[in-house]
Amino acid sequence: MNAARLIFDLAGAVAFVFAAVMVVHRNPIKSLLAIVVSFFALAAGFVLLSAPFLAAIQVIVYAGAILVLFLFVTMLLNLQTEEETADRRPFQKLFALVGIVALAAILLSDVRRSGEITGTSGQPPATGAVEPLARALFSQAALPFEAVSVLLLASLTGAYVLMRRERSGSAAP
Amino acid sequence: MSAADWVIVVLRPLVPVLGAAMAVPVLTWAERRGAGLIQDRPGPNRVGFFGWRAFGLGQPLADALKFFFKEDITPDNADAFLYTLAPWIVMFSALVGFAVIPYGPPIPIAGRIVPLVGADVPIGALFIFAMTGLSVYGIVLAGWSSNNKYSLMGGFRSAAQVISYELAMTTAAAGVFLSSSSLRLTRVVEAQHASFLRWNVVPQFFGFVVFTIAAFAETNRVPFDLAEADAELVGGYHTEYSAFKFGAFFMAEYIAMTVGSAFIVTMYFGGWSLPFFHPTGLFGGLVSVAVFAAKTAFFLLVFIWVRWTLPRFRYDQLMRLGWKVLLPLAFANLLWTALLVRSGVL
Repeated sequence: MNAARLIFDLAGAVAFVFAAVMVVHRNPIKSLLAIVVSFFALAAGFVLLSAPFLAAIQVIVYAGAILVLFLFVTMLLNLQTEEETADRRPFQKLFALVGIVALAAILLSDVRRSGEITGTSGQPPATGAVEPLARALFSQAALPFEAVSVLLLASLTGAYVLMRRERSGSAAP
Repeated sequence: MSAADWVIVVLRPLVPVLGAAMAVPVLTWAERRGAGLIQDRPGPNRVGFFGWRAFGLGQPLADALKFFFKEDITPDNADAFLYTLAPWIVMFSALVGFAVIPYGPPIPIAGRIVPLVGADVPIGALFIFAMTGLSVYGIVLAGWSSNNKYSLMGGFRSAAQVISYELAMTTAAAGVFLSSSSLRLTRVVEAQHASFLRWNVVPQFFGFVVFTIAAFAETNRVPFDLAEADAELVGGYHTEYSAFKFGAFFMAEYIAMTVGSAFIVTMYFGGWSLPFFHPTGLFGGLVSVAVFAAKTAFFLLVFIWVRWTLPRFRYDQLMRLGWKVLLPLAFANLLWTALLVRSGVL
């Protein structure tokens, strides 16, 4: 086992552990920070899979922009640490555990079956793969790519309309 | 790898990072003397060495000692862990940016050709953007963990500001990547070798303007220092900080300024190269490093000059400038550059 593989496994473990911390932590801000750490670990994984561009985008877009907005809103709402309340659904936790185990089993069996991982062309990916990614994104995947941007625009407009209706309604009486 | 190789591998990123850190005391002195010059007053001119005043150059040393010996206070209701972590996030993200900026040509050392860049990664520029994105966490967390409304306001402002200006900055930078057809910063410098007309500032002047203004906003410098806004928010996100934790924020600001200047020089002013002047060998390489340092120093002076000349923006003005002026301008610049590249001019 070489050093790169060791770091990769370590990054994977960190990503996994902090994702779990995100779920169980009771303080919403700390929960958010845990997922930031998890994303950084994922980025480290991308670097070791010789996809530094994906790593940079992972950090810039997810950690650097989207989660900052999440943090912004969480702080603005001033959410408090969750209190432990009496469990009204005692079976919920049990079902959650069963669900996690089942999902993990499916994933693991799939990973085991797939064997050695290669690119779509069956060849190892080139280093610093910005160009192949760009080509794929703007030729094969051009339509889904544009469709996603339209979807984002639609959700943005939707949020704006909902917000406006609420404001005019409250101003009416 | 032999021992010499290891030394070179370690020194390559360490030299510029330490260089930026070493520049901090001189910069704080230059900032306050510059303020004195612009506002027609002396500035710090007393603290010298052994009876020699040395234009007040001893002042940064005295300031550094002060940071060490002041009481380190953590407010009772602060979140102690995040409160301690925040200044170091800011410091870390400022320092590592320099690791990917080329600061000289490849030079021969001990029979090897050593490129003078910490790490010549294929996504060099994006690495710097990613790290500036990280610094906002430090500021926001400092604001939140202090448990003080002024600090929190500073943190909010910083988050919104950095996100808004990062968009304009990356869009402006896209023009440079288009004309040098690479994200690799050594390649960006190479593409500007030939003549002054190839310096990206000439064909992409508006891109340069947007990039520079956004760099000011990213470093939270006047006129974009709404996150600290001492007239309204006491000290903004670092209101509660004292001693070396405050010192870390203070140093990080100047390091970020140095990285910002070096980044502007690399992207738009040919980096370490000068057209019609290509010294070779070890000595030539060191001359190129001096050229790079001189260009960076010029932009550092611009940072200081602007700080003591312009008043602070109001928050709505800041947002209007970012979204309605800089972003469209950056897109226009990108389109213009695409036309130039397509028509074979660049």
